[in-house]
Amino acid sequence: MIQFPGEHSAHAPASSQAVLLDRLGEQLYGIGAVVFVLVVGALLAAAFRPRAAAEDVEDPTRERRMAAIVAAAAGATVATLIAVLFLSFGTGRELTGTPPPDAIQIRVTGRQWFWDVEYRDSLPSRWATTANEIHVPVGRPVVFQLRSTDVIHGFWVPSLGVKRDMIPGQETSVWFRADTPGVYRGQCAEFCGYQHAKMAFTVVAEPPDRFAAWLDRQRDTARTPTDSLTRHGQDVFLASTCVMCHAIGGTPAGSRVGPNLTHLAGRRTIAAGTLPNTRGHLAGWIVDPQQIKPGAHMPPNALAPGELQALLAYLESLE
Amino acid sequence: MSSAFPSRPGALVLALALVWGLGCERETRRFREVPPTATPGSALRLSSINPGPAVPDSTIRSTYAENAYAVSEGKRLFTQFNCVGCHAQGGGAIGPPLMDDEWIYGAQLENIFATIVQGRPNGMPAFGTRLATSQVWQLAAYVRSMSGLLRKDVAPGRADAMQAKAQEQATTEQRPEESTTPPQAERP
Amino acid sequence: MARVPHVAVAALFVAIACSSSDAGRSRSASVGATASLPEADTSSPVRDSAGRFDAGQWVMSAGDYANTRFSSLNEITTENIRGLKVAWTFSTGVLRGQEAAPIVVGSTMYLVTPFPNILHALDLANPGATRWSFKPGPLNAAQGVACCDVVNRGAAYADGRVFFNTLDNHTIAVDAGNGKEIWRTKLGDIHRGETMTMAPLVVKGKVLVGNSGGEFGVRGWMTALDAATGRIVWRAYSTGPDAEVLLGDRFKPFYPADRERDLGVQSWPGDAWKVGGGNVWGFVSYDPDLDLIYYGTANPGPWNPEVRPGDNKWTSSVFARDPDDGQGLWAYQWSPHDLYDHDGINENVLLDLEWKGAPRKLLLHAERNGYVYVLDRATGEVLSAEPFHHITAYRGVDLRTGRVQVVPEKEPKSGVVVRMICPAAPGAKDWQPMSWSPRTRLLYIPHQNLCMDFEAAEANYIAGTPYVGANVKYYAGPGGHRGELSAWDPLAAREVWTIKERFPVWSGTLATGGDVVFYGTMDGYFKAVHARTGAELWRFKTGSGIIGQPITYRGPDGKQYVAILAGVGGWSGAIVAAGLDPRDSTAGTGFANAMRDLPQYTTKGGTLYVFGLP
Repeated sequence: MIQFPGEHSAHAPASSQAVLLDRLGEQLYGIGAVVFVLVVGALLAAAFRPRAAAEDVEDPTRERRMAAIVAAAAGATVATLIAVLFLSFGTGRELTGTPPPDAIQIRVTGRQWFWDVEYRDSLPSRWATTANEIHVPVGRPVVFQLRSTDVIHGFWVPSLGVKRDMIPGQETSVWFRADTPGVYRGQCAEFCGYQHAKMAFTVVAEPPDRFAAWLDRQRDTARTPTDSLTRHGQDVFLASTCVMCHAIGGTPAGSRVGPNLTHLAGRRTIAAGTLPNTRGHLAGWIVDPQQIKPGAHMPPNALAPGELQALLAYLESLE
Repeated sequence: MSSAFPSRPGALVLALALVWGLGCERETRRFREVPPTATPGSALRLSSINPGPAVPDSTIRSTYAENAYAVSEGKRLFTQFNCVGCHAQGGGAIGPPLMDDEWIYGAQLENIFATIVQGRPNGMPAFGTRLATSQVWQLAAYVRSMSGLLRKDVAPGRADAMQAKAQEQATTEQRPEESTTPPQAERP
Repeated sequence: MARVPHVAVAALFVAIACSSSDAGRSRSASVGATASLPEADTSSPVRDSAGRFDAGQWVMSAGDYANTRFSSLNEITTENIRGLKVAWTFSTGVLRGQEAAPIVVGSTMYLVTPFPNILHALDLANPGATRWSFKPGPLNAAQGVACCDVVNRGAAYADGRVFFNTLDNHTIAVDAGNGKEIWRTKLGDIHRGETMTMAPLVVKGKVLVGNSGGEFGVRGWMTALDAATGRIVWRAYSTGPDAEVLLGDRFKPFYPADRERDLGVQSWPGDAWKVGGGNVWGFVSYDPDLDLIYYGTANPGPWNPEVRPGDNKWTSSVFARDPDDGQGLWAYQWSPHDLYDHDGINENVLLDLEWKGAPRKLLLHAERNGYVYVLDRATGEVLSAEPFHHITAYRGVDLRTGRVQVVPEKEPKSGVVVRMICPAAPGAKDWQPMSWSPRTRLLYIPHQNLCMDFEAAEANYIAGTPYVGANVKYYAGPGGHRGELSAWDPLAAREVWTIKERFPVWSGTLATGGDVVFYGTMDGYFKAVHARTGAELWRFKTGSGIIGQPITYRGPDGKQYVAILAGVGGWSGAIVAAGLDPRDSTAGTGFANAMRDLPQYTTKGGTLYVFGLP
């Protein structure tokens, strides 16, 4: 069983939004527990009440007392529900408030079955494109503009408290502010086809300076190959089927059918969180992706062993 | 009911078997099957005459042309690999129309396969080194659907995009014309 | 022999030298060194005694450096034109769209056919007879990367040589007398989707050419080749760093927002400028006084604007450059972050007129986006931008910033069909060139009336395949007619008269000293109208739709002739030229939907018609 990085629990909140949601959940749980105990208690009391004598049944005082109890219970229920409504409403208002103006803007496009990620900037030349792994700075709000080009996907990061559908033809948005550094796992939350289950992504919350360095690197074009093996690997990449689907900045490959590979080597996983990003896994994925993720849009690629080794060396050099 | 009819449970079983049988091939998704390559020989021809007694046209059935998943993949690839940039949604632009009954280089699935893989002299690029064989078969099957040559339950339905033409499912079948390669006099 | 005073001889030399540098102001076209006569041509001299080409010739596609397409020849008038008849015809042998302007030098006419780009030299003294034909043999595969039919817009003449481009990116110089190739330079690569279709311009010994391929993610450029040797003198790209766009210390754009450094990189995401378009497939103008060339750049790639945020400089722009070294003096972007494939390559007509009481050097331009611009061609300031056609996509041009204002509801979005965008992608006017008459002081604008539905779709850059990312279809705009010929007063900014046509008027116009304006329709009529009133004076039904550029010249017999190529095609006529199927309304990149009935009115053709008075 492969262990994947990332906290993936709504009960381990790492952002202000997730904390609010978790708190609401606990409050509802608490209220529910109390209600549960009371209801079960009343049920048990009713079930094990000693059988009343026939003449007690029609006692008007008893009737009035029962009516009062029922009315009180009904009133308590309504009051509880209104309280819960306010709690929920208040939390909802906090979550959907307008994001602060200094928020980082990220556009995520859900595609079968991976994630296109674009970091926007007021200066277009400072846009950065990557895939399947999102880095965010701790303590700074991040706004996601979500869309899809094929079917409805769902952008869900349980530990960071965001979940929003990505609908073709519309742009939805959601935002959060990560408070705790760490690695968090996200998952597609709307059934989107054969490999919906293997459409995960990673969100890395890191200190602002580390984030800035990472983002600057993402803005660069790909590392030019320095030795003959990686040069050969780049030639293999550009000469075979890869260029029909994948883009590597700074090379003639510019297709968006598959994930952008410009900085592939810096990612923790490949195939949208399906495999760890190691040489062996990458080789297996390139040669026979249908074995790992049947139905994925990447065809098998039969490469001569020397070519495969060179290609792996090149891809591993794309920091 | 009269005794001429089969028994009710028997009829039900028969009906269910028919439904299951008809849908089976159409929906099967083969992800790791090794696809056939287009073999030369009598199956692949561009001329309708041959020496000696006439050889009938090939009757090779292809699993790709009877598989709805393969055809829908072909439709996806047709847009993603920019075929749509030259051929539009079948009406043509830089390249000739694919939705009519004129086939310059042959209308059989193997001919279309060869055209995509080899390219053609007046501007069709050679995709042979750039596409997996299964992808080429999927594209070829989709191209046939554009002129209504596939079964209605296999051809794609309404696209989730601007409605440029009738869906392939509803396209009337246009039998490929013979001899539609432009004659000598019209060569560019 | 009498002794000629030395002073007189010297004065004569000075006069010749001065007048040869004086060329270009009206409609002459001197190119510096003395011209040599085409071989076997003794009928009329190429230059007159003052060293200028006389009005009886047409040595470049635009007629003159200022792109006026006006001829002072006035033998054919509004009175006698009813007698205009076919003098002779010539079949080019090619049945695709004929967009070229024939050129006339002395008693020889030179015309370039669509692919395979045969250059014919016709003897005007023996009408229709071929002196020679030059077959350049371009690569067949080039036909697969030409977006809008395999057209060619004509040749240029200078110094005894004829220069033209082939579809597979060669510029070729041929001896004008005997048709032998002098040099050939390969400038681009069809594997990248690059082609060349434009008509070169020769300025001061340099052949100016540009590339096509905005629908293939080709980075646009203009290149100057040495007319004698074909070597590249300079190349100015349309996108990228200032060093490659040749914007240096002399670059002084009028608007402050255009003055930052490396805008050709900063206004694009990542390295999208490398596949950004900005091609140079239109006409080039030249002002000999200011010594500046002017030309426009085409659309940014891909059509889907969501993929290329930023202004996308310098696509859909106009450049003013020094022809000697290519350095830019100013630039202005007609459509920043173009949303609708509104190329900026339409011709720039250079006129010296009075603007608000003071004489001014103007540049007039009828743009794809529907506005007629009047610019100061010395500085690049937009003096006026008025709509000459129905527009829903823009709200006007803000003259303070020079920026065209886009209507947000009409912006293309992925997965959404935006409807009733006017003008459509071919614009209110496409490449088809207008003409100017100094007698009526009107511009004669051939254009179309089309609106469109546009759905942005995913765009994948795969070299050598289209990089568009849009599903589009066009249809007639308000009124139902698809074409118009309008007479426009640029100083009053108003339309004086207009003629509605069934199909887009995809041919150029020609204005003459006899107050006649010539143009052709896509259903094959070559028409002459009164320049002042627009009344139709004469028409002739040619064999096929007309999308070419009419010219006029004085023949060897001294009479005035008008020539036009007939042969439908181009982007608008591809439904006939390429046999498209209109059941798909996105066929022909959207045009087939608007031209469904064209096949009922015309078939393919490829014939030159020459008309004259009997």
